[in-house]
Amino acid sequence: MVEGAGTANELFAVVGAAACNEKIQKKKNRGNIPRREKPVLSMLILGLIVTSCLLAPWVANHDPAGFYLTALNTPPNGEFYFGTDALGRDLYSIMFYGGRTSLAIGLLGAAIIALIGTIYGCLSGTLPDRADAVMMRIAETGGSIPTLLMVLILSAIIPEKNIITLSFIIGITGWFGMARIVRSEVRQIRNCEYVLYARSSGGSFFYVMWHHLLPNFLSAIMFVVVSNVSTCITMESTLSFLGLGLPVDVLSWGSMLSLANRALIMNTWWVIVIPGLFLVVTLLCITNVADYLRREVNRQPSHL
Amino acid sequence: MVRRLLLLVLCMFLLSIIVFFMARLAPGDPLQSFYGDALELMTEAEKDAARVRLGLDAGLISQYVHWLGQVLQGDFGLSFKYKMPVLEVMKPLLGNTLLLGFLAYLIVFGLATVLAVFCTLYEERFVDKAICKIGTVSYYIPGFWLGVVMVLVFSVNLGWLPSSGAYDVGRKGDVLNRIQHLIMPLFVMVATHLWYYAYMIRNKLLDEVRKDYILFAKAKGCTRTEIVWKHCLRNVAPTIVNIMAISVPHITGGTVVVEAVFNYPGIGNLAVESAKYHDYNLLMVTVLLTGMAVFVSSFLAQTINEEIDPRMKDMEAVRW
Repeated sequence: MVEGAGTANELFAVVGAAACNEKIQKKKNRGNIPRREKPVLSMLILGLIVTSCLLAPWVANHDPAGFYLTALNTPPNGEFYFGTDALGRDLYSIMFYGGRTSLAIGLLGAAIIALIGTIYGCLSGTLPDRADAVMMRIAETGGSIPTLLMVLILSAIIPEKNIITLSFIIGITGWFGMARIVRSEVRQIRNCEYVLYARSSGGSFFYVMWHHLLPNFLSAIMFVVVSNVSTCITMESTLSFLGLGLPVDVLSWGSMLSLANRALIMNTWWVIVIPGLFLVVTLLCITNVADYLRREVNRQPSHL
Repeated sequence: MVRRLLLLVLCMFLLSIIVFFMARLAPGDPLQSFYGDALELMTEAEKDAARVRLGLDAGLISQYVHWLGQVLQGDFGLSFKYKMPVLEVMKPLLGNTLLLGFLAYLIVFGLATVLAVFCTLYEERFVDKAICKIGTVSYYIPGFWLGVVMVLVFSVNLGWLPSSGAYDVGRKGDVLNRIQHLIMPLFVMVATHLWYYAYMIRNKLLDEVRKDYILFAKAKGCTRTEIVWKHCLRNVAPTIVNIMAISVPHITGGTVVVEAVFNYPGIGNLAVESAKYHDYNLLMVTVLLTGMAVFVSSFLAQTINEEIDPRMKDMEAVRW
């Protein structure tokens, strides 16, 4: 067995080196070192959607809260660009006003997740081993309950639904993964001289976190923070669709889609497809931007 | 093993505390949801009697202890909405959810593995890049929207598939009918979950094909397909099982949405309904049982993992 392993090693030394060289050569010749291109298209589309939502009063051509009773379930036409729904509301105008709510919930929810996750992760990372183990077990337990079920409980408990409470519900149930990432980053740097110096010279927990820990792992969590925006937007629309999120009269992409069941009976495709497409395009653009922020993993050439 | 079992019990205990107190601290009088409009006709004395009967008069902690004692005996209390024991309400639905969840689980991981191997074999080629792009798009399409669009296309307009339910009235035993009702929910489940796992396995495999033993296998004369299927996949197996363990809550959450969209009579749909109608007792038990199922399956997966790869025993992340 030992002899066999020896031959194998020698064999590998010869074949392996040759193969490696060849591969590296090939890579160099092709010159395809992975380069990150700026997601220009995604940024453009995202910028367009965000600005039109911010400028909703100028972009919209109808009253978003108005019920045009003479034009119920009108397909897209020259006056109602995206058609009207079963209540006679102009979908084109609602889209931009609703986008404000959806984006606000996305940003606010992601901010809450980042805040809780960072503080919890830093605490867990800097505390002694035993406390760290307890805190991580708690985070793991929380993370292993399906998020949607926790959100269901919370949304049943909190009767009043507005942007703030909904972001709170989504944020408070989504920080477990974030805490774990922050914690593992903090563990790597917590014994660095400058951190020890800052702590021994009397820096408070939040001072050390803000000035010494955060700058070190910011790039590592940036990707997660940005993709959390799209997670929160999805969660809001799912909840509103299930009838547990924003009520129909508070405009958002989710509450627009909560009329989908009625639209199915009427077979009015535009009520379902158009808001959904807006949602999906926004989510994809955010993801592309987030992906750009991700740290590149350097891979050696494949042996295969 | 014993330590992990203790941890399992501890997790369930924690979960039961959280769920119980959240449900009890909720606003709204439980009597209101139990009696509905009849509550207004009741006198104070009758209300008090009802509180005693439902066990709502004691302090929170003694309520919890009492409740826990009953739960351990298999008595989960009454559903306020259905006026039936919670387990009776859940029993006929459990099979439907298990069927959907389990099938989705198997298909997702079967396909994810095949897809990951395929992508690894054609790394950085056009096919791989195309699959990656399509996969990312599919992952970010909200499940409920995909479901509604499918109903719009295949039920409302084409009329090929039924839009809701688990079977047509009176055809419970008809396998073909069941399959018809399962196609769309399963498709949505698979489409929205597949890429997440395929991508994880793909990345793991890509790390694996950069290891030295691949060169040796190549020198031995194995073909590329053989190397990936026989050597790499075996080394990645514990990771896949690990991912499968972590994925249980993710997929369970997916069934909730899909069941609600397709009005599929299952536990997820029940959870949404009970959250809507403030039926806290039912919601609590649903979450509790789902949570327990998740804990137990992740416990099982870790145990299986140690069987596959004994090194895992020493690699447990957190030591007590």
